[in-house]
Amino acid sequence: MSGSSAPESAATAGVPLGLGSRIGGFLRRRRGLVTAAWAAPGTLWLLFFLVAPVIFIVLVGFWERTITGFDESWTLDNFRSVFGSDVYWDTLRQSFQNALIVVAASLVLGFPVAYFLAIEVESLRNQIAFFIIALAPFWTSFLIRAVAWVPMMGREGALNRGLMDLGVIDKPLDFLLFSNFAVIVGMLQLYILFMVAPLFFMLAQIDKASLEAARDLGANWFKTFREVILPQVAPGIVIGSIFVFVLSMGDFGTTRVLGGATVSSVGLIVQNEVTSVQFPQAAASATILVLFMMVGVFVLLRFSNLREEL
Amino acid sequence: MTAARDSVQNQTEGSPDTPPGEGTQPEASKGSGLELRGLTKVFRGRHGEQVVAVDDIDLKIEHGEYVVLLGPSGCGKTTTLRMIGGHEEPTSGEIVLDDENLAGLPPNKRPTTTVFQHFALFPHKTVLANVEFGPKMHGVSKEQRHERAVEALDVVGLREFADRKPAALSGGQQQRVALARVLVTEPKALLLDEPLGDLDRLLRLKMRVELRNLQRETGLMFIHVTHDQEESLSVADRIVVMWEGRIAQIGDPLTISTKPDTEVVAAFMGDNNIFRGTVARRDSDYVEIEGDDKITIRLAGEQPGLDVGAPASVSVGAGAMKVAFDDTSSGGVNGLECGISTVEYLGDLVKLHLESDGKQLLAKVGAERYPELVRREGARVRASWSSEDVRLLRT
Repeated sequence: MSGSSAPESAATAGVPLGLGSRIGGFLRRRRGLVTAAWAAPGTLWLLFFLVAPVIFIVLVGFWERTITGFDESWTLDNFRSVFGSDVYWDTLRQSFQNALIVVAASLVLGFPVAYFLAIEVESLRNQIAFFIIALAPFWTSFLIRAVAWVPMMGREGALNRGLMDLGVIDKPLDFLLFSNFAVIVGMLQLYILFMVAPLFFMLAQIDKASLEAARDLGANWFKTFREVILPQVAPGIVIGSIFVFVLSMGDFGTTRVLGGATVSSVGLIVQNEVTSVQFPQAAASATILVLFMMVGVFVLLRFSNLREEL
Repeated sequence: MTAARDSVQNQTEGSPDTPPGEGTQPEASKGSGLELRGLTKVFRGRHGEQVVAVDDIDLKIEHGEYVVLLGPSGCGKTTTLRMIGGHEEPTSGEIVLDDENLAGLPPNKRPTTTVFQHFALFPHKTVLANVEFGPKMHGVSKEQRHERAVEALDVVGLREFADRKPAALSGGQQQRVALARVLVTEPKALLLDEPLGDLDRLLRLKMRVELRNLQRETGLMFIHVTHDQEESLSVADRIVVMWEGRIAQIGDPLTISTKPDTEVVAAFMGDNNIFRGTVARRDSDYVEIEGDDKITIRLAGEQPGLDVGAPASVSVGAGAMKVAFDDTSSGGVNGLECGISTVEYLGDLVKLHLESDGKQLLAKVGAERYPELVRREGARVRASWSSEDVRLLRT
């Protein structure tokens, strides 16, 4: 490009020739370098801690299983056995169903919380204070929170005792613990904040004067919500749903603690396979789970044009 | 553009789909107007104390009238407007529009619409959808509201921007969208809350003329809140000056500008020289006040009620001051010798900041005197005024 004998002209944009345009081109490249420098740490982080492990897991899924782990010889046996396993597909269906329920419930229960925080609470100070209180469950580890449900929801737990003392029931409710119900409730309380937070941030960005304007122009509360609030908060709903969906699909801790022996999840299957040193099998199970999640995330993204709306 | 405006106006008068909540009056311009009776708003302050934002206001506004609520921030003008629009509930008092008491009605049930200071457009909707919003909420059919919205956009000259999002428009264009959005709802009263506050100066000067013209062409009642004196003089039929939650003075722009009633108004409108003193002499056609700063002011007229010895304060507009270099005699009535502290050239006139024994005075003279005045800071002059230009202030 440079060094050709074409006359220098400002009109021939995109063909840097003279000294000035060469410097310009260098600066443009420099700006590219600066941008790249800013992006580098994050990119390296993602490459090392996300992309590389995922590639490795996929590879391991195609390798032979040995007593001590795996051998780098190619095979499709691991995937064949996962595809042939009814237990795997039943569990995947169960995990998927639970994840959908948790997403829906966290949206229904989380929206009012986020709405209250972002719209009804007027001062920023109070908003932040309430938000930190809402984050309080995160001050302890998720395992402790999950375990804390056992004395609450067990046969002899506080809830059953209370209901029996009140005379609402005459024998303990069994489904409160070590059941799929318990797993769903547990995941809901663990993951709901991943819904509340993006909803809160999207709602907090809405210009309150535009809500007043909507009322002023004749919209009642419901129409204001549908016409002005909901479209603007849609990206938050999608992001929150992705968080909660992915976390619930991959969950194994809550399922183990609250599901007892009766409930399984794909995460639990993978974990069991890892503990029994069936790494290639675990890798194949995990790969299919990740693929399934990616499809789910893709479908969720279709609901909103995040790129344009954020 | 004028034709389009006319068509909107015609539609305003003859439209079959009156929004619900407009009461039984089919034509806005024939009602009895807006009346505020004893309107009061008390807020609870940060520490639980009571803050009276609006204090027992009575005001009547006719249809087709352009009224400006003018005052410094915190004077209660915006709260008053918000109560009319239904965005604040009055603590007590009544808001009656065409014999319908609006108190207790939510904003969406009121025949008023507001242009908000920061426009408050819906960022996720196109310009057209923003303008269509009001009619849509009032159940106007899709074709009709589209037609009306396009006409309203024509009125404000933004038809070609219909498919853009508000963020892609300039401040002035956003302001026009906000106007189109309220005009299309055919309100009985159009409320404007610091409508030009977000615009830069040149645009403000342009938009205030457009607002004035729009009001003339639509014949609607405009109630406009601002803290900008010049803006209020430019647009208003009537100015309501507010101070500490009360109405300080109501009058047409000329009255407010040249005949302030109280010290507060005289000071807020600016360019007034205020003198305080006591009545020293009185005659059949004048009253003389001995100013606290040893200036003797003669006030024309009999001025009943001003007895010798009574305290009085008066104002003299800066424009009424005469400034002479050749006569530097001190003392006398309605005049004093003073020094020029600053000569301020304002293009069409020259503002002289004068000082005499610590008393600051202002005089405005024609720009043609600028060559004679430039760099004459420190020069001694005699400032004087005629007794007809002295305005007695209520205390």
